[in-house]
Amino acid sequence: MSIMRGLLWLLAFLLLGQSMVQLLPIPLPAGVVGMLLLTLWFVRRGKMNADVVAVSHPLIAMLALLIMPGVVEIFFVAGRYADQAGAILTALLVGTLLSVASSLWLMRRYMPPLNETDHE
Amino acid sequence: MSELIRDFARLPQTWFETPIAAIALTLAAYFVGVRLFKLMRHPSWFPPVVIAALLIAAVIALLPIGVEDYNRGAAWLTLLLGPATVALAVPLYQQLPQIRALWRPILMTLPLSATLAACYALLIAWAMGAPPEVLASLAPKSVTSPIALSLTEELGGSTALLMGALMVTGITAIFGVEWLSRWLKIRDPRLIGLALGINGHALGTVRAFEISHQAGAFASLGMSLTGAFTAVVLPVVWHLFV
Repeated sequence: MSIMRGLLWLLAFLLLGQSMVQLLPIPLPAGVVGMLLLTLWFVRRGKMNADVVAVSHPLIAMLALLIMPGVVEIFFVAGRYADQAGAILTALLVGTLLSVASSLWLMRRYMPPLNETDHE
Repeated sequence: MSELIRDFARLPQTWFETPIAAIALTLAAYFVGVRLFKLMRHPSWFPPVVIAALLIAAVIALLPIGVEDYNRGAAWLTLLLGPATVALAVPLYQQLPQIRALWRPILMTLPLSATLAACYALLIAWAMGAPPEVLASLAPKSVTSPIALSLTEELGGSTALLMGALMVTGITAIFGVEWLSRWLKIRDPRLIGLALGINGHALGTVRAFEISHQAGAFASLGMSLTGAFTAVVLPVVWHLFV
């Protein structure tokens, strides 16, 4: 039952996020706003709700499974972009490798090493 | 006898009248995907998600049903993506002390990284002569799918092409982070997690959780901040140029 109680909490915060997105000019999806609100609520209480922790582990483990159905459609419409395939693939492959390299370099340059942050 | 054969041939269509077959197919393909991934000794360029999506596409192509029939049923399962996103608050809260200690370097590097993630791809595609519709589908390629979908609609891109771009970007980011961090001798799980979340959205975040809980929490942080930043900045910049 703990998992169902946790799920109810998640749904309540999702609805809260949905209402905020509709009422205020926030350009974010309801789920992300719900996540931030739930984090703030944990901060206010100073601890996490055990039911939410119980449901979060199986749900986070399922993330990859939940993304997958959205990917299926591209195999059926890929033909439409055949003449652009070279530009699209080069942009995605080279662009992503370049951006990974820049972000790793930037963060190594500006992030303090692991053991030093413990003293702050 | 011929009637029996006809009823038998109509079975797949009746299965997909309710969401049950689509959900069962998704779960089965996922577990087969995970098994094949292990058998192939964990190739980082071919994650279980992609193996499973290919298997589902093959089953849909073989059966007398369309991809719309599958999408309609699978939507019942992907509905859980909402509460799963909210659930990311748990690792985020657990890593809050670490994040608080690092807010300054994160704030300095993240907006630039998120901007570069979009700019490199757009410049390459533009230089190679891609039309505005393709550019609009590629621009949010490093952003988590719920934000990216609404962004690409606003800019006038194709959602199917965007989903493909998200997949290719996610795989390339996972491969790139693993390869480049070894090459640059980076072992810090916070840094690897952030790089996976900023560049590889939810696919990168899933990979980061396989590395460690801390890497996963930093990846969720990188993913949400990149999403928030891009959602605010991209439409403004786009309308300046187009």
